[in-house]
Amino acid sequence: MEDTAGTVKIETIKQALGAVVLEGQDRLNAAVDHVYASDLMSDVLAFGKPDSILLTGLATRQAIISAHMAEFKGVVLIRGKRPKDGAEQFARDNQLVLMTTEMDMYDACVRIAAEEGMAVTHAAAAEPESSGEDILFSNNFTIEGSDFAKAGMVSTEVKSILKKIGFDPKLVRRVAISTYEGEMNVVMHAKRAAVRLQVTPKVIEIVIDDEGKGIPDVEQAMQEGFTTATEEMRAMGFGSGMGLPNIKRNSDDLEVTSEVGLGTTLRIRFFI
Amino acid sequence: MTTKDVIEKIGLRCLSNFEHREVEGVFVSDMLSDVMAGAKSGNLWVTVQTHKSIVPAANLVDVSAIIITSGKKVPQETIDLANQHDIAVLSTDLPSFELVGKLYGLGLVSS
Amino acid sequence: MSECRHRWEMANIQFGFVVFEKCSHCNNLRTYFSLDDTWDEYREGDCLWSIVENAQTFRFDLKCRECNHLETFQDLMGLLYCTSCLPDCEVEVVRKRYEAEKTWVLVAFGFLPQARTRPIEERKLDILSEYFNQRRDTKRSRIKIISFNLISDLSRCRGEFIHDVGMLSQEPEERKHLL
Repeated sequence: MEDTAGTVKIETIKQALGAVVLEGQDRLNAAVDHVYASDLMSDVLAFGKPDSILLTGLATRQAIISAHMAEFKGVVLIRGKRPKDGAEQFARDNQLVLMTTEMDMYDACVRIAAEEGMAVTHAAAAEPESSGEDILFSNNFTIEGSDFAKAGMVSTEVKSILKKIGFDPKLVRRVAISTYEGEMNVVMHAKRAAVRLQVTPKVIEIVIDDEGKGIPDVEQAMQEGFTTATEEMRAMGFGSGMGLPNIKRNSDDLEVTSEVGLGTTLRIRFFI
Repeated sequence: MTTKDVIEKIGLRCLSNFEHREVEGVFVSDMLSDVMAGAKSGNLWVTVQTHKSIVPAANLVDVSAIIITSGKKVPQETIDLANQHDIAVLSTDLPSFELVGKLYGLGLVSS
Repeated sequence: MSECRHRWEMANIQFGFVVFEKCSHCNNLRTYFSLDDTWDEYREGDCLWSIVENAQTFRFDLKCRECNHLETFQDLMGLLYCTSCLPDCEVEVVRKRYEAEKTWVLVAFGFLPQARTRPIEERKLDILSEYFNQRRDTKRSRIKIISFNLISDLSRCRGEFIHDVGMLSQEPEERKHLL
């Protein structure tokens, strides 16, 4: 198996897995280029490629949101799992195919790999690409801390706005992933946040301004992986990466300002 | 087939000290709850998780080895804990999906 | 009772957090299970409860696949593994003794203050041990699940819950000392 992007129809995958379609029956003719097998949504956001299909044992709405942010075409739940917390509704609203198979991850991977032309997903961040239109746009949102039911809604909205404006899907995807990582940080670690999306002729800018615990050492929080963090920082829930490295990877410019006890502001910019 | 055969045939890195043992089947998951619910004794457990929680989880279900994919860096504390419990921690740069193809090629079946 | 020699499998898995809260007035410690990672403070009579820690975990029941009997574990919030943080802790003493016999020890964690007067039943702990032992080669090693009541000083315990990293929170969080 090599990473030569082949394509396979979702219908073929469905049949190979004996899967039951829960959402998107009308989109089974769509083709996918890659398979991504993971239960770790931070990995899906960081390394998943557009037009993939996700095989996962995580049946929550967050799994579907992550697949959507990463521009996947569909999600297959393994081991007969059924979607939870409105995952189905989210798939329906965002035109994702959602299926479930009784197979476990190993068998599902083997069966799909046996289908001709299927490529294997490798870890690689999306290539930045610039394009855009000459317009000006601004919109404000709020994120409530600990509101898991609504987690992902702001980034979903940002994504749909930018898509409607007509930006390059790759650029939209980078903005969506970065916003989602930022949004999840707020939901998990802060009380609330004000979010501003602003589009100028040259730049898309997302500012997430939260009221929260703040980050004691921003530089350290920016480093990959939790092993680099000090124990105190990990105890505070920071330095665990917090998705910041992934935001940095996906954006053209990231500015983090933080005051312990007050909050953190992320200014994320994408050059068009 | 033993852990030794799998390591040699696929070219896996050994990160911990352990005794080789018989391998039976493969379980692929990044969810510890799934592993604890579904993996069987002697399974190879394929995952991208590296947190030290994987060691007690692997121990609970008696897997023959943990194979960490996608070249994830494994924290020293995970390896220390694995050494303490005689748990095999192996690693590869291949992503899970691709490793599955190779394991299948060795004739290993699912759990 | 049926004659069935139960073959257990996990059921009703629920992901969430063990919330530790402490009252600054009476200095008592309570624990409860929450689906969300909340950090609320509230008053209850003279008590002011504030959360000192949220530890990610999952809880579950066991079901027999032969006779469908469901054994619920409502008193269980998750399984904790000892990190040998306190050499004089009862868990550490028990753990060392069992490990000498190739038996790995895990701690069943429950609700405080309830468990102080009504500990997790011994019978339930044995069923948990049985579940894990059924699926392993017990000639090599065994599993023993013990009660969290054996933890000598909970406020200094740095045991870790077995949890799904990257599910509820995106990154693992290290447990800290409860002050």
